[in-house]
Amino acid sequence: MAAYATMHDEFGRGAKRMAGHNAELLAQQPLRRRRVRTPEFFLTKNFDNSRLVKASDPVRLRQMRVFGAASAALFSLVMVYGLQHFYAIESSYHVEQEKQIRDQLREENRQLRLTQAELTQPARIDAMAKQLGLGVPQPGQVVHANSRFDQNTPVEAQATPPPPPPAQ
Amino acid sequence: MQPAPRTLRTRTHAAHIVPLKRARFWVICLFFFSWAGIIGLRLFWLQIVRHKEFVVRAEKQQQRTFEVAPRRGVLYDRNLHELAMTVQVDSIYADPSEIGDKKAAAQALATIVHTDPEDNRTSEVQIEARLNAGRNFAWIARRVTPAVSAAVHNLNMKGIYYQKEFQRFYPDNEIAAQVLGYVGIDDNGLGGLEEKFDSELHGTPGHMYAAMDARRKVLGSSERDPSPGRNMVLSIDENIQFLAERALDHTMEKTQAANGTVVVQDVHTGQILALAIRPTFNPNQVRHTTQSVLRDHAVSDVYEPGSTFKLVTYSAALDQHAITPDTVIDCHNSVINVAGRTIHDDKGDHFGRLSAADALAHSSNVGAIEVAQRMGAEHFYQYIRAYGFGTRSGIELPGETRGLLRPVNRWSPSSIASIAMGQEIAVTPVQLATMVSAIANGGVYLPPHILMPTQPQNNGAKILPSPFRPGADIPNSLPSGAHRVISTMASAQMRKMMEGVVLFGTGRSAQLNGYSAGGKTGTAQKIDPATHTYSKTMHVASFAGFAPVSNPVIAVAVIIDTPKGSYYGASVSAPVFAEVAQQVLEYLGVPHDTELHATHPINLQAAAVHEDEGDDSSINALYDAVNNLPSDDPLRSTPTKSAQPASASSNAQPAPPPVLAAPTYTKTVTIGGAKSLHVPSLTGLPVRRVIEQAGAAGLDVQIVGNGTCRQQAPAPGSIVPSGTRIVVRCGR
Repeated sequence: MAAYATMHDEFGRGAKRMAGHNAELLAQQPLRRRRVRTPEFFLTKNFDNSRLVKASDPVRLRQMRVFGAASAALFSLVMVYGLQHFYAIESSYHVEQEKQIRDQLREENRQLRLTQAELTQPARIDAMAKQLGLGVPQPGQVVHANSRFDQNTPVEAQATPPPPPPAQ
Repeated sequence: MQPAPRTLRTRTHAAHIVPLKRARFWVICLFFFSWAGIIGLRLFWLQIVRHKEFVVRAEKQQQRTFEVAPRRGVLYDRNLHELAMTVQVDSIYADPSEIGDKKAAAQALATIVHTDPEDNRTSEVQIEARLNAGRNFAWIARRVTPAVSAAVHNLNMKGIYYQKEFQRFYPDNEIAAQVLGYVGIDDNGLGGLEEKFDSELHGTPGHMYAAMDARRKVLGSSERDPSPGRNMVLSIDENIQFLAERALDHTMEKTQAANGTVVVQDVHTGQILALAIRPTFNPNQVRHTTQSVLRDHAVSDVYEPGSTFKLVTYSAALDQHAITPDTVIDCHNSVINVAGRTIHDDKGDHFGRLSAADALAHSSNVGAIEVAQRMGAEHFYQYIRAYGFGTRSGIELPGETRGLLRPVNRWSPSSIASIAMGQEIAVTPVQLATMVSAIANGGVYLPPHILMPTQPQNNGAKILPSPFRPGADIPNSLPSGAHRVISTMASAQMRKMMEGVVLFGTGRSAQLNGYSAGGKTGTAQKIDPATHTYSKTMHVASFAGFAPVSNPVIAVAVIIDTPKGSYYGASVSAPVFAEVAQQVLEYLGVPHDTELHATHPINLQAAAVHEDEGDDSSINALYDAVNNLPSDDPLRSTPTKSAQPASASSNAQPAPPPVLAAPTYTKTVTIGGAKSLHVPSLTGLPVRRVIEQAGAAGLDVQIVGNGTCRQQAPAPGSIVPSGTRIVVRCGR
């Protein structure tokens, strides 16, 4: 049975594994005999590329380096642009947020000013003073030490008024 | 020979087929070219010819413009206290499509937002109706308080949303309500300064342009920010306004008058420091007011000034040198006949020969008529016009009337007599106060203003407060509309005569403690609109004066309309003047110029000067004058009960003795922390002793003249800060 011939070579384990595989196939042959009896052969071919040597090409190398550098520069530019672009977007969000906070604080300030105006309204203070038993200051009771009235303003001295004429 | 016919047949067949195919080709080509041409033409028609139309339609479909409301400007008083300001509050609305049980939702919401029983829009029924009527939007409540908003938030109800809206607030509530006015639900000014300067206060609305898809979703938007309204600074001082309103409240409570007005004016600038009107309203709750209380009686109502108008008569005569204060006037035993009309002084008065000063002090009608007749009608009319009567003053308030003053060629023979004592003429309270200011400041008419001069703003510049400086003088360059009416000498003489009215005459209840004051009382009968005759029960009590006399700071006009009980200006209005002037001068820190009394000096028994009766001719003249007013004059539009012209007469009734508790203060309050001193009496001392005593007391002294001290200011007993300069006039 030439078909069952097995080729052995001296190349170690691969050959042995191949032989084992062939033996299996051979063992399966009786099962396939009813259909097609095709012998199967497996060949091993070895290549030796050690004689091939890459020739040096300085021009090509320089072109590659220039291309690489240009690509790196372009990439950097794109990255810088992208970075600043997204940074600008992020900053605009931040600015918008700060504007909202500013507007909020301004509105809060207005609310507080309104509250202050309501709390300092003279009618409210007057009512509270009355509740505390306080009254209107008597003439001369309040002295403005830093009077807004210009003390140098010429005034007309007043004579003591004569007694009123008798009622008619 | 056989192939020939086949060939021929073939050729014949080809000759028949080829033209048919070409025709079909060209027909199809024509069809397609026509089709393309029609499409091209249609496209040309739509895209080129009707381009603009479709652009507009596309914008309408795809874009929505939302108006962004501007913030209304702030109204400040002269010290930059907010009188009206706008803040953001929540408005609540609902998307009815998201609400399942609308009745339950309306009930739950109404229990929170229906805080005002008179506000039907927030009732449960109304909310439910709006929820059922609207598809995607329905207001629940607009401009709610933070508490209500928080309560609705806590409901956590689906389909309820919030929108920020501007709300106008008046922190002082009723203070200067008629001056400020109020705004409606859409932020439009509806009264007072809010109405007059609505366009400037309102600002310019912004716009948000939103692009929307077919499902009405916003794709993108662009905005134009709104410009806020202009902030305005009023000449009103909030504290002076409060003092005036409180004094007016006291009188309104006592007299139960129909209405009352107090005008406080700076005599040196014409600026209104306070304009109090009663009854009043709360502009924060305009829904609860009636139309009648919204009326600004200070500029929209006129009344016959009565005896207060004698100030014009006497000052004009002094300026014309027709009289001097000492000129003796024959009062004909208080009865005079002018052009067949008998006019007399008040009941019980029988004046003979009086000096002009005394005639004014006792408010003699006959004396005023005599003075006017010495001038002549033409001159008298020119002075009346020069004081600003019969023309609009230009004050920045809406609905100002010019008053009633007929030209001299339409005067009847007795008109000069009537006008001399304040009849046949009608004025506004602001006109009256401005006239007194002109007399007090040296004779210069300064048009009244209630707005401070415009300050640059909205460009980063900050508005600065303009506190009232009582020591100021008339500006060197007179403002627009200002002019001299009477000479400085005539003004000084009038001030002295008006002081005499307060010291010895009918205005004794206007005396102040520590300050000199001048003024004139007035009591006028009103015209009964039903009978067109002077009413015997309705009167207008008024007082117009200024203080201090030595260096006037403020002018005050008090008009009380239809007081119950006593109706004389001397007993009703003069005490209001005293209360207002006293407190305002103390508040401003004006040094006392007369001696302070431990008790109020008022011990009044004012001379009884009674009404005299007007005649029907003057009444008819007044009605004619009303009919001749311009169409835009407020007097034509709303004839209210309080706007009826009134009759005047000389006035003054025995003033009831004031019930004033003796001051029991034991402490002196010093504002500013410096030491206060009592001014010693220096009268009668030689100059050397004056300097020694003043130095020992810690006071500066300015000597005028030589010899012994005759007069001093401030008066002895005044409490002044340490270092105050005392002016001493000496003589031999």
